[in-house]
Amino acid sequence: MAFEMRARPLAKCIKCTSHRSLTLPIRSFTSAARLALDVDTGATETQAPPPSTPKKRDPNTVTTAHGERQLLRNQRLMPIGSRRRRAAMQQSGLPFSELPYQCFQEAREYLREDRAEKLEAIRIERERIEKLKQAKVSETEQSRKEIRLQSMQRQLEELKILADINDPLVKKTFEDGKGDMNKPIYRYLADRKWRSYKRRVLIQRITQMNVVPDVLPSIEPVVSTSLSFAGRKVAHGEFVDSLISAQAPKLNIQCYDKGKRLVTIAVINPDVPDVSKDGFGYRCHFLACNIEISPTDTQVNLSKLVEDKQVVLPWLPAYAQKGLPYQRMSVVILNQSGPGETETRPIDVTTIQASDKKRDGFILRSFVNRMKLTPVGVDLFRTKWDDGTAEVMQNAGIPGWDVEFRAKRIEPLPYQRKDGERYR
Amino acid sequence: MAGMKAPSTALLRAFSPLWRPQALPWTARGCVLQQQQAAPFSSTQRMEKKGRGAKTDMRITLIRYHLQHPLTPRPLRFSRTRALRHWTIHRAWRLYQRKLAEKRTLELERQYNSMAEACEALRLIDSNGLNAQDRERLGVPEPEMTGAKSDKDTGRLYRIAMRKDGIFNGAPIEYAKIQTETPSKDGWNHGWTK
Repeated sequence: MAFEMRARPLAKCIKCTSHRSLTLPIRSFTSAARLALDVDTGATETQAPPPSTPKKRDPNTVTTAHGERQLLRNQRLMPIGSRRRRAAMQQSGLPFSELPYQCFQEAREYLREDRAEKLEAIRIERERIEKLKQAKVSETEQSRKEIRLQSMQRQLEELKILADINDPLVKKTFEDGKGDMNKPIYRYLADRKWRSYKRRVLIQRITQMNVVPDVLPSIEPVVSTSLSFAGRKVAHGEFVDSLISAQAPKLNIQCYDKGKRLVTIAVINPDVPDVSKDGFGYRCHFLACNIEISPTDTQVNLSKLVEDKQVVLPWLPAYAQKGLPYQRMSVVILNQSGPGETETRPIDVTTIQASDKKRDGFILRSFVNRMKLTPVGVDLFRTKWDDGTAEVMQNAGIPGWDVEFRAKRIEPLPYQRKDGERYR
Repeated sequence: MAGMKAPSTALLRAFSPLWRPQALPWTARGCVLQQQQAAPFSSTQRMEKKGRGAKTDMRITLIRYHLQHPLTPRPLRFSRTRALRHWTIHRAWRLYQRKLAEKRTLELERQYNSMAEACEALRLIDSNGLNAQDRERLGVPEPEMTGAKSDKDTGRLYRIAMRKDGIFNGAPIEYAKIQTETPSKDGWNHGWTK
């Protein structure tokens, strides 16, 4: 009976579900399929319905020529896929995990046993951790106990992932993008996917465009970020039209470890021209603190933050004056916790010093050191002079929209032209 | 002019090497898609030459040649569920193999440790087959008290068996012989009397 339940859909079509009710003689493959289908499914095609109320047909499951014709005529739809596939769609009430393949079922059995072992190991590890937490140790042993607890916790997390990593349904759910980021396995898979390509691209962009030594000495991104201006996603380091970047972007910050945390977001332009010293300086285009993110709560709209609790410097449109090379706008995500700390702490925005509130000459390195922050993520886009820049600068009240920078002409060194004899 | 028909391309199609049907084999479709640059960044340099247009990378040419070759078997194409089933079986098999390997490694380790323990025991026994604990337990006097050559006797056979000198000039014959206490090293004691 079990096999009959798990029989292939088409086989079911051909053979009839129960032999007691078998009334038709078994015929050859093609002709029987249609007849048996009519008997089995019944509902798809019987008599032609009255023309006044044409019967609704599903293009995924219609299996007869008549039904197909009706679908085409009444609903103006083409049937989807082959007739064989549609028959299978009609019948397959079988969940993926019960598909009747021996090797597959045995593999699932084996994996289930392994999972039970892992769950047992998780239980034991939890008990051990509890026991160690309860244990009283002397002052000198305290640090060793902490380290031991940390490593046991790490082991526990690893076991949690190992318990689920071989589950085909987990893989399927993740590939469909429906993974629950509260569960460690989906966070692990998402992290792995990000690290396999996108993070490498990000690292390449920020090193090639020298964000890393210019804005911060080093960044090891652990959260993935994606910027979107007016609903359009921007690749890391892409040029953004100044009219578009006049409005504050939305930032998607995906972190891969559990729990809520508070972050600071800073947008720094390290390419501001400084004519007096014939070089470049920094400008802060945006600064906001106390933004709460978690693995499931990832969207941050930079224009919709609370004024006096989060925003320190509101969004200033990105611009590059005429004649200047492109300017990098680096978005840095900073965890509000020191190097060794695990918990993040809120920052009181009102107590931030006036020296940290000025846009020009904002040095992120010293800000990070003073506020004891840890860089966890980075993003980048670029801006250059385009048709809209002057308008954007005028609207924002930024002086200098009519200034054009010119490269300094370097006089060629005088050299004596040798006689033409040498060049022949 | 209005009623004039466009000339047929049938002959051209049949014979000219320049006239190629637009439908590419499925293997080449990905290549065509890749050639149209859509992203603002490119990871590969385009090999462009002055006046002669873009030149295709030799590696791409070779990949295409081999992928489109009639002797190349078609790639493995699975439906979603079939691929998942395949993956499940693969993972279970890998897990099984891994556990097997771990079990074997552990068994080898156990055997190695057992051998090491046996060697240690052999190293510590004296000519009577007793080690320090045994002597203490049985009340046998320590060899230092009885004779002068005590240290030499402890684990003598083990030391001989472990000697590695001369192995590069052909292994010495002693290596093929199990070291034993008998016959005696001194030969027959002719002077022995009761």
